[in-house]
Amino acid sequence: MTIGVLIIAAFMIIPLVIGFFAATKSTKTSEDFFIQGRGMGAIAVFFTVAATWWSSFAFLGSNATFYTNGPVYLTALAWNLLFGFMYYWVGKRVWFLGKRFNYITASDLLGDFYNNEKLRMIVAGILLVFTIPYLQIQLTGGAYLIEVASGGVIPFWLAALMFYFIIVTYVWVGGIRAVAWTDIIYGALLFFGMMYAGYYISQHVGGPSGLFEGLLATSPEHLTLPGPQGAMGYPMWFSLFAVTAIGAFMGPQIWLRMYSVKSGKLFNLMPFLLGFAAIAYMGSLLAGFTGVLLEPGLANPDQILPVMLMEYAPFALASLILAAGAAAAMSTANSQIHAISTIVTMDIYKRYQNPKASQESIIKVGRWSLIVFSLIAYVMALVVPGVLVTIGIAALAGTAQLLVPTIGAISWRRAHPTAAIWGLVVSIAVVLLFTFVPVLKNPLGFHAGVWGLLINTVLFIGISLMLKRTDKEVVSRFDTARNEYNKLYHPELVDGEIDTKREAL
Amino acid sequence: MFKRYPKKKKILYSLIILCFIVLETPLILLANTTEPFVLGMPFFLFWNLVWWFVLTGLFFIGYMINWGSAEADS
Repeated sequence: MTIGVLIIAAFMIIPLVIGFFAATKSTKTSEDFFIQGRGMGAIAVFFTVAATWWSSFAFLGSNATFYTNGPVYLTALAWNLLFGFMYYWVGKRVWFLGKRFNYITASDLLGDFYNNEKLRMIVAGILLVFTIPYLQIQLTGGAYLIEVASGGVIPFWLAALMFYFIIVTYVWVGGIRAVAWTDIIYGALLFFGMMYAGYYISQHVGGPSGLFEGLLATSPEHLTLPGPQGAMGYPMWFSLFAVTAIGAFMGPQIWLRMYSVKSGKLFNLMPFLLGFAAIAYMGSLLAGFTGVLLEPGLANPDQILPVMLMEYAPFALASLILAAGAAAAMSTANSQIHAISTIVTMDIYKRYQNPKASQESIIKVGRWSLIVFSLIAYVMALVVPGVLVTIGIAALAGTAQLLVPTIGAISWRRAHPTAAIWGLVVSIAVVLLFTFVPVLKNPLGFHAGVWGLLINTVLFIGISLMLKRTDKEVVSRFDTARNEYNKLYHPELVDGEIDTKREAL
Repeated sequence: MFKRYPKKKKILYSLIILCFIVLETPLILLANTTEPFVLGMPFFLFWNLVWWFVLTGLFFIGYMINWGSAEADS
């Protein structure tokens, strides 16, 4: 018990120390607080992107899904690769435009390219509304793990409070630099925890080979789609792949991690690193499947890993692995709180309330909004129950819709603001309807987010082809920027780009 | 756009798209079986791991050849 509390204490204190050290490197500017002055190096970029997008959804939710629904979560291997590829293909272009035009948020880029204030507000609204529930599940997952790892000494409400106190403190003093540096520790711990937990637990049923033979004999439906409950067939296989990767990629915390990067070349390596990291899910597969043999019929599947660790592992090891799970939650929560604070400060306060705000007052508003939104998520975690993966996917379905206008902005000169607005408004309505109205839930088995993306794309392309942009100076400014990008990174395309431009004019 | 890509970039992107088609279209259902066990694991898991390995390898090759571009950076 004492060891468990000591591990939790170390887990809480180390990030604080790192955060305060990071603060000594900070300059007192909003660009440094929100995007590290666009100077983040390779190691920090990889760990902060990976640890930010691997959350309690990944650590607890993956085990729970393998445990209850069979192999559908294996699609995570492909969604990690898709996420990595988008980080290279879309992220590098977003980074370039951000550096060229001084963007900090998603609304900055989309609002500027589409030259439309309404769209700017819609984007900020979508990101705020759909990120808060995802933040709430980090708190729920992380606090639960701290409660278990401490042997119940720290109750859920106090664990959640400590969880946020620590995060708000180091983000307050160090901004995104503190977040990225602590993410290096969190990331290493969470990948180790996921892999080792599965390997260790599966030894109780004869290792991986014994586990699969045992499952084949007792519950073979766990080894193929649609899983033991018959609910997770191909439509959900594809839905999880598309909605999780795109929704997480379009989250405000990942936008900041596109803008923060020091050099365009760093994007080239990320698809490989982020794709390779997916092997950690094999640990979740082993743990979830072992649970089917050792702990069948658990009421709350999200608790399968903690329950098994407490029963089959030495307390110190169990606490360490559960701390790794809490690291997965904290490394996502710290980035989300910071990203929400950025949206409130830059997209609302600086844009509409105080356009001439000083650097000092911008940082001050950013810091206080950390506290306000942490409190909202804390209250939600105490009063809103729910399954981690269900809430997580619903939240990701909303943010995923931003991919359509984003790809339009970075690659298509005809992309029209009216098309972007209607695409977003209708697709968000579809996501909400197909998620919350029982008779409309998941038509043909595909998740609401997939239908949203489909309708969004059709509307976006259709309306853009019907209308013509009249703000030629904005279109031409982006043409020039895209041409500069191609000259630097895809020189083989430059002549063609100029031809296309001439044709269009 | 795709027509103007250099040859190695066309090949790389085509292979990546092919891998995603194998993994994420209904083609994946052709591998949706437990038998035969390969390397001690059910066939469906083995199949997914093989294609994950191939795609990850392609991403590494992509990095090594600058993603097929003739690519630069203050």
